[in-house]
Amino acid sequence: MTLGLQIDGLSVRTARGRVLLEVPELQLAPGTLLGIRGPSGAGKSTLLHALSGLLGIASGQVRWGETEILGLGPEARAQFRAAHMGMIFQDFLLFDELSPLANAALAGLFARPDRRRGITEAANDRLVRLGVPDGARTVATFSGGERQRVAVARALATDPAVLLADEPTASLDRGAADRLIDDLDRVTRAQSRTMVAVSHDLRLLDRMDRVLTIEDGRIARDEARAA
Amino acid sequence: MRAVWETLPSLAQDVVIAVALVVPILVIAALLMRGFRAHPLVAALLWRFRWANLMFVLLIAVSVGMGAGLIAQERGLRIGTARAADKFDLVIAAPGSEMTLMMAAVFLQPSDVPLIGGEIYNAIANHDRVEIAAPIAFGDSYGRSPVVGTTAGFATYLSEGAITGRLFETSLEAVVGASVPLSLGDVFTPAHGHGDGAESGAHAGFEITVVGRMDRTGSPWDKAILVPVESVWEVHGLANGHALEDGDRIGPPFDARFFPGTPAVIVRAKSLASTYALRSEFTRDKETMAFFPGTVLANLYRVMGDVRQAMSVMSVVTQVLVAASVLLGLFILSRLFQRQLAMLRAVGAPGRFVMAVVWLYGVSLLVAGTVLGLIFGLVTAGVLSGIVTQRTDILVQASLGWGELHLALAFLSVTSLLSLVPAIVVLRRGIVESLRA
Ligand SMILES: Nc1ncnc2c1ncn2[C@@H]1O[C@H](COP(=O)(O)OP(=O)(O)OP(=O)(O)O)[C@@H](O)[C@H]1O
Ligand SMILES: [Mg+2]
Repeated sequence: MTLGLQIDGLSVRTARGRVLLEVPELQLAPGTLLGIRGPSGAGKSTLLHALSGLLGIASGQVRWGETEILGLGPEARAQFRAAHMGMIFQDFLLFDELSPLANAALAGLFARPDRRRGITEAANDRLVRLGVPDGARTVATFSGGERQRVAVARALATDPAVLLADEPTASLDRGAADRLIDDLDRVTRAQSRTMVAVSHDLRLLDRMDRVLTIEDGRIARDEARAA
Repeated sequence: MRAVWETLPSLAQDVVIAVALVVPILVIAALLMRGFRAHPLVAALLWRFRWANLMFVLLIAVSVGMGAGLIAQERGLRIGTARAADKFDLVIAAPGSEMTLMMAAVFLQPSDVPLIGGEIYNAIANHDRVEIAAPIAFGDSYGRSPVVGTTAGFATYLSEGAITGRLFETSLEAVVGASVPLSLGDVFTPAHGHGDGAESGAHAGFEITVVGRMDRTGSPWDKAILVPVESVWEVHGLANGHALEDGDRIGPPFDARFFPGTPAVIVRAKSLASTYALRSEFTRDKETMAFFPGTVLANLYRVMGDVRQAMSVMSVVTQVLVAASVLLGLFILSRLFQRQLAMLRAVGAPGRFVMAVVWLYGVSLLVAGTVLGLIFGLVTAGVLSGIVTQRTDILVQASLGWGELHLALAFLSVTSLLSLVPAIVVLRRGIVESLRA
């Protein structure tokens, strides 16, 4: 399964009325890898948060496939994310005390009991494919690159149609970043997943199908990259 | 409803109360955690903040322990003193303070009390409702042990016949309590008075031989040295209760003309009705007073009960304070793992799951603290009971009872309800704000 994106009249304003983001219109074909770049404070993370329904203050329409996510309540949004989205953060946000598998299979803790087994199996499979050292009791001793691969396995354990990543390589050294870029490229394209990745990393942006430049809360540039 | 309640046996009532206190916790647990596996995350968070968590657990343990220890100790004291006074149905003495007399005659605390004479003693002893009427005489001691003059019959009654060796047969023989540091065959000279003020030379020349040893009774009499009442009289240069021509015979009957007086007569009546009859018969202004040590103790317990109630109010107050600080602590700790909780919601965990994690985390600390507190209370009560037993020879046993359990469960029930507050607050924080924190 894969999902496309359709944004109409998206606007994010603070309680005081300051505009953080305005996106009058944006369409993303299913399976597209979208990069988002721009200066610090431009609103890149804000866009990503709006796309995932994490912002209470977003108005307008954000449609993933048939679902208009801003029209949903908080619990329905969470359910949508759990079912269709995988999240990757700059600083991984793993549970240091847990094993790689327990981290990767996190979604199993709150999934329907009949899905738990599948999630754990998928998590295990991703960890193996991503070459995460197995047998570690916890991820506490892992390097940044290893941690981010556990985080990717966690994002993929529910087989999501969409991957959302905020600066996924920013905490990694060059070698680990390059490896992660390869991994992300592979795991998305192989399954025709849609990906939206905020990044300053040119090597990452070079792999994207399309790159938006955000400046001052607006899309300043929208360029297609040769695949 | 109330009528039905009162027909229940007390065990059933205790169980019902305990269950009623546990139910809210189980209901919350069931509502929050149904279908979720929150415990791996809770275990991770407990471990991550283990030192802060340990502090909370200890804080809770101390507060629960104080409350539980107090109740356990009070009950132990009540049961212990009641058991120690068990053999003393009725005491007849010269008019005065019942409390002083009870302390002197039942718990062997030294005190000066007026004496009653031979005629009255004989009137009691020869009464046809009386089974045993034992005069007792005190004032002497040996080491830490009071030397108590009485009759062989009373020694048998007190020890229920459980005596190693034999009863005294002359005025220079003694039967010792179980914790007296004298062995069969040992010889001692009683000192006049008690403790540091005792005059050890006062009774020089009187050498008394230990011929018997009573089994432990769990009362201050374990510390006592029992001698024939004649011995105490003779040691003080008084008549020995018998006419000269009676020779060295000891024990009842006594001749009123040669009876120097006794501070108290311990009476065992032939029946319960007789006990009451004797009490009213020997309650005579200016002559005698008769009282049930059990009743005096009951009055004492009422006062103790009031004190306990005052203290339990205080301990409830401290527990409320502890509960409040636990709540505050949960807020602080939930700040520490705020980003992780926001991540859970970002990846699609239902709000109820996040609440379950925060709640279970708090309740784990509370349960650990409460269990530790009960153990701590039991140990404290045990130590205190040991000290009381050592000082008074009243066997006080510390045990956990329903009262402590109810207290602990009530504390848990209230605090687990309160733990919902941080769980709800965590949920109300913005996900993005928390992720950025
Ligand atoms: N809840 C909020 N209330 C007010 N202002 C906010 C809020 N959240 C974000 N902002 C502001 O919105 C702007 C965009 O923030 P955002 O995090 O989206 O930037 P970014 O492009 O991701 O920057 P960076 O590259 O530094 O991560 C910033 O000026 C930020 O201060
Ligand atoms: Mg950002």
